[in-house]
Amino acid sequence: MAEQTLPLSGRLAQSTEEFETITYWGAVRRKLMRDKITLAAMALGAVMIIITLAAPWITDNLLGFDPTATNLRKRSDPPTWFEAGWPKFEQFGFTCQSSDGCQWALWPEIASDAVDGLRFCVNADLGECHWLGTDQAGRDVLSRAIHGGRISLRIGAYVAIVSMTLGVVAGLISGYYAATIVDDIVNAVIQTLGSIPDLFFLIILLSTFPFLRSPEGLAITIGALGWMGISRLIRGQIFSIREREYILASRATGASIWRIMFQHMLPNVASIIIVVAVFNIAGAIIAEAGLSYLGVGIGPPLPSWGNMMQGSLGNFTNAPWLVLAPGFFIFLTTLSIYLIGDGLRDALDPWLQN
Amino acid sequence: MNSALMRYIIRRGVQSIMLAWVATLIAFSIYQAAPGGPLQFLDDDPSVTSADVARLERLYGIDRNIFAQYVSWFAGEDWLPANETWRSGFCLSDQNRCGHGIIRLDFGKSFLFKGESVIDLIVERMGATFVLAFTSMIIGLLGIPLGIWAAVRRGHWPDHSIRVLTVALNTVPHWWLGLLLLIFLGGFLGLVPLSGMQTIGDGSLLDRLHHLLLPATVGAIGGWIGYSRIVRFEMLEVLNQDYVRTARAKGLQERLVVFRHVLRNALMPVITGLSGIFLLALSGSILFETVFSWPGMGRLAILAINARDYPVIMGLFVISSVLGILGLLMVDILYSVVDPRVKYEVIA
Repeated sequence: MAEQTLPLSGRLAQSTEEFETITYWGAVRRKLMRDKITLAAMALGAVMIIITLAAPWITDNLLGFDPTATNLRKRSDPPTWFEAGWPKFEQFGFTCQSSDGCQWALWPEIASDAVDGLRFCVNADLGECHWLGTDQAGRDVLSRAIHGGRISLRIGAYVAIVSMTLGVVAGLISGYYAATIVDDIVNAVIQTLGSIPDLFFLIILLSTFPFLRSPEGLAITIGALGWMGISRLIRGQIFSIREREYILASRATGASIWRIMFQHMLPNVASIIIVVAVFNIAGAIIAEAGLSYLGVGIGPPLPSWGNMMQGSLGNFTNAPWLVLAPGFFIFLTTLSIYLIGDGLRDALDPWLQN
Repeated sequence: MNSALMRYIIRRGVQSIMLAWVATLIAFSIYQAAPGGPLQFLDDDPSVTSADVARLERLYGIDRNIFAQYVSWFAGEDWLPANETWRSGFCLSDQNRCGHGIIRLDFGKSFLFKGESVIDLIVERMGATFVLAFTSMIIGLLGIPLGIWAAVRRGHWPDHSIRVLTVALNTVPHWWLGLLLLIFLGGFLGLVPLSGMQTIGDGSLLDRLHHLLLPATVGAIGGWIGYSRIVRFEMLEVLNQDYVRTARAKGLQERLVVFRHVLRNALMPVITGLSGIFLLALSGSILFETVFSWPGMGRLAILAINARDYPVIMGLFVISSVLGILGLLMVDILYSVVDPRVKYEVIA
């Protein structure tokens, strides 16, 4: 890819005005700038990151709740603005289950209650309005969700770093030493890890070794079981560029193996690495949610998007906001990541598209 | 069948056996490495003396060296020398209580479900997992027509909307979607039951199907996404082939070209892989079974893990690994038998 840089500098570019020098990364940037969907997704992602980074400030100054403070008098309360409307909404559900059919007449009341509630919430003082209700220990769901984002996003980033590092190094080495014993060993490890049921293995590991249930521990465990795909991808790429002239030239000049691998080969697979890493973050966030939901991930009182839903296990039908809120945050985050990944994949292939 | 193919199948077979053996090693090492050992829960009970612990360790054979423990778990202790180094206390006192080893499908007895043998517990629940996985797979096959539609109308709205749908479904955990649907369809509208496989005391087919509907549909989401993408890709690949151009050139209707020439070739890889994918799915979906309280192997796994029921955990791990390995083996073999273009020599 980098070797495809069109260096139209030199004589040609100087003699004809309409040619300008475009490097590979310049072309990528130009293409990204034209891609409105990706830009919007990047903005959404930036908003999510800013919200989670500013979480302590937001909960202190805008919401007025401590995400870990319990309040046993307010267990599983509906969102404050919907407090009056919620029983009626539930009643509506019951009428739908009865033989008489849904009682649609309840809706105007529900709506007006919600509007009144919203008016109250907008004007409320700090610590008076739970925008997304409270959980089974009376903690504010919205504060926990934005604090949980810190953990979930951190795990996503860490997992990407761990699995990309492992995958890239294994892929580089097995691609460079393809068809030797080193390659065989890497392949054997990949085959073994690929053939065991990974979610089950993760759950066993995390439940047996509780010290792994920190953001870093989780990231290392998830990452260590999720690098095989990227390694295979990189190996294939490296294998195909191994015999190119510039590699031979560099080998002929006496460059060390590490120099060849990291200076000459790695830049050629950089675009693949970037795209896979981006998708990896989304996968890790979803995986963390699943593990914490099952109770083997991040443990309370620390909030994460997964363990917020775990609290809902017993009474999710009575308190759906416990499920809705963290899921919606996951949805926004992974959506932006997927769209960014898609956009990057297109942009990093600028020569192909045109 | 040529000899290269035969060699490939044999090599993959041997490889799979090795992998299954490694899975037993992994299961056993987790059990060995567990902090506090399998009897750790006794520490919480103040009435248990250290003499009691020692007696239990002898009975269960935990005091033996690692090698003896692995051999008796893997291959059975009935053929080992009858002394304390090789046999557990149960086995020494009573011949009938000797373990036969996991290779003879004896995974020992569960701690949690007192006295029940692990393999019975697993087989009992495999049926529920089987039903859910099979129905999910059948419903998931709806992804195939979606993929065909997207490929035939490539670049038009069916293609775009299917793509948007699959991306959107990928952005949330599927078990979370299940939870949401359960809340609104089950909790509010009462259209589907909230948990389990059947109403207690009602085993009718209709009741079972009613319970199966939502879990199977949610379980099928992965299939919709996967199959629609693969089929679309394969279709586009085949549509570019020379023989399709020939078919069009001789004036064949587009419909006939698609159904007679393209579909047959595009669907082959998907259909071939199904049986193996099914085996993979059988290894249980822990998250779906937790969300829907489905009484399958996944639920059993969670129960066992929470209770530190190591015999069950190890048994489930080995069995689901073996199912997965068999699934992959089947996919590989079927592909190489069905499609002569598949290369089975290692590409160096």
